[in-house]
Amino acid sequence: MRDGKLKSGRVDRSDKAAASGCLDAVAPVVSLRGISKTYGDFTAVENLSLDVERGELLCLLGPSGCGKTTTLRMVAGFIEPTAGSVFISGKNVTALPPYRRDTGMVFQSYALFPHMTVGANISFGLENIGVPKAERARRVEEMLTLVELTELTHRYPRELSGGQQQRVALGRALALRPAVLLLDEPFSNLDAQLRVRLRDELRLLINRVEITTLFVTHDQEEALMLSDRVVVINRGRIEQIGTPEEIYERPASRFVAEFVGLCSILEGSISDGIFMSRGGLTLPVNAATGQTTIVVRPEFIKPGSSSSGPNKLIGRVTSSNYYGAVSRLNVVVGRETLLMEHHFPHGTRPAVGDELEIEIDPAGIRAVAVSE
Amino acid sequence: MRTDAIDMGMKLAGAIIRPLVYVTLCLPAAIVIVTSFTAGESLRFPPEGFSIRWYQAAIASEPFMNALWSSTRLALIATALSLAIGLASSFAIDRFRFRGREAFRTLTLSPLVVPMVVLGLGLLQFLSWMQLNQTFTGLLIGHVLITLPYVVRTLTASFVLFDRTLEQAAMNLRAPPWRVLWRVTLPLIGPALVSASVFSFVTSFGNITLSVFLGFAGETTLPVQIFTYVEHSYDPILAAVSTIVVLVTLAVIAIVEKLVGMETIA
Repeated sequence: MRDGKLKSGRVDRSDKAAASGCLDAVAPVVSLRGISKTYGDFTAVENLSLDVERGELLCLLGPSGCGKTTTLRMVAGFIEPTAGSVFISGKNVTALPPYRRDTGMVFQSYALFPHMTVGANISFGLENIGVPKAERARRVEEMLTLVELTELTHRYPRELSGGQQQRVALGRALALRPAVLLLDEPFSNLDAQLRVRLRDELRLLINRVEITTLFVTHDQEEALMLSDRVVVINRGRIEQIGTPEEIYERPASRFVAEFVGLCSILEGSISDGIFMSRGGLTLPVNAATGQTTIVVRPEFIKPGSSSSGPNKLIGRVTSSNYYGAVSRLNVVVGRETLLMEHHFPHGTRPAVGDELEIEIDPAGIRAVAVSE
Repeated sequence: MRTDAIDMGMKLAGAIIRPLVYVTLCLPAAIVIVTSFTAGESLRFPPEGFSIRWYQAAIASEPFMNALWSSTRLALIATALSLAIGLASSFAIDRFRFRGREAFRTLTLSPLVVPMVVLGLGLLQFLSWMQLNQTFTGLLIGHVLITLPYVVRTLTASFVLFDRTLEQAAMNLRAPPWRVLWRVTLPLIGPALVSASVFSFVTSFGNITLSVFLGFAGETTLPVQIFTYVEHSYDPILAAVSTIVVLVTLAVIAIVEKLVGMETIA
């Protein structure tokens, strides 16, 4: 799906961007330089620096209250940073009001104007920048086609479904051809099935218009599946920036490992290439000697095969749940609990209390920095 | 079973009390309207015969028609001023956290609490000190004061319910503040503005206490005119005039309902 981004053609940006020439081409579309936001003695965002490169979809991922939405709002200009600077297309916009920043935002609630039709909602921004009437009509039409809502031009927002409202909001934001599209938890008001379908659609649409996108979510699955790069934020600070693969497979901290995907965490120390957990579990690992935390993803734990290996362990099943494609089991080995995810053919799923031989794929064992 | 019985009792009581309330509310006006069509010489219910002679008399009566015009003009100007001041105040109360904000809110609502007679007396003294007594301006100030609480109440309530992300969305779509106000905020609080004006107009139009204190020979409002007329004569012209007042009030409400109704559909 991400292949769509490799196409070379670019849609033309706003005339402004075209006029400012090739300098923009090298500068990141959005650049945050050490921005902080404090409310009294509460720090929402702390010294955060970040670049969003041209054409990429960057996701801010973190638990609620971690400062990701605050960060997005500082980009849009609704919140003024306490310290630091915000650059959009290479221009310092820190002191500029929202209406003088080249961003297009889709709000969590969509914030469609209830007293305007779908067409008028999309046209609103174009009127504000003084696009002539004929051109406006053409652009509205173009946007409606893009989000596949041509039939609904004359409807009011309250007459639309949640998914349709989201598409109007998207069309409205894109109509101005902003330098960056800002999405604030755009799927959180939709039911689970629709959410999955719409995020596929969103990804396709973003690929098609090739717009730089900054996306905020607390849903790790959404982040992994949509993003080119993910920024994991915790307590106003960046924990890790990386591709979805890097984030999932090489988490930089225990927080990242636990927040993104499921895992088993083992604390202990390494000596001579052997990890010994506090709970008495030993594993050969490829990491430096010393105190460490080991992360094991559940899909790397399998039931043991007949041949014996160094990563074979015997444990007792303490929970065994069927999820359809896979089953999730908690297996206690010594005093450590390991989470495994495996597809057991019909009738072979171990029951609680069973003894189970398991094998840990060395590729799935990661040492992360010891958390504070 | 027991709750069913209580439920039944409540329903029955409701069915009896509701019509009673409506009847009691409507009866005085209904009686006045019916009486106004009397053919007789005195204000009496039931009326004697049917005629519109008292309406002709009312329309021909210069004092009453002058008073009607005075009241309408006063109510319109007072409403306009009250809306302007009230909108600004409500906006400030809702949007800004300033010192004395609560005190300010209470102040704008206080004319509701202070007895009208006290307000009238106070204003009379204050206005003569300001050398504004016996002037239209003085009367107008009084009416703005008594209509302001209704405007502020209605508008602050609507601001509380207003979704401010809509304004942010508009700003994000390159709308500078005045455009946000004009295209998003005002249209959306439009219905509240309209009901605030109705409250304000009706309050000013029907007020008598303050107008007695602040009125003067050149500026007699209709309620005052009716009141003074009643002191020496008691003929059905009063009923006819009162009916006209009721009709004017109803017309204002109906027109406004229609306008607001259209706004919600459009």
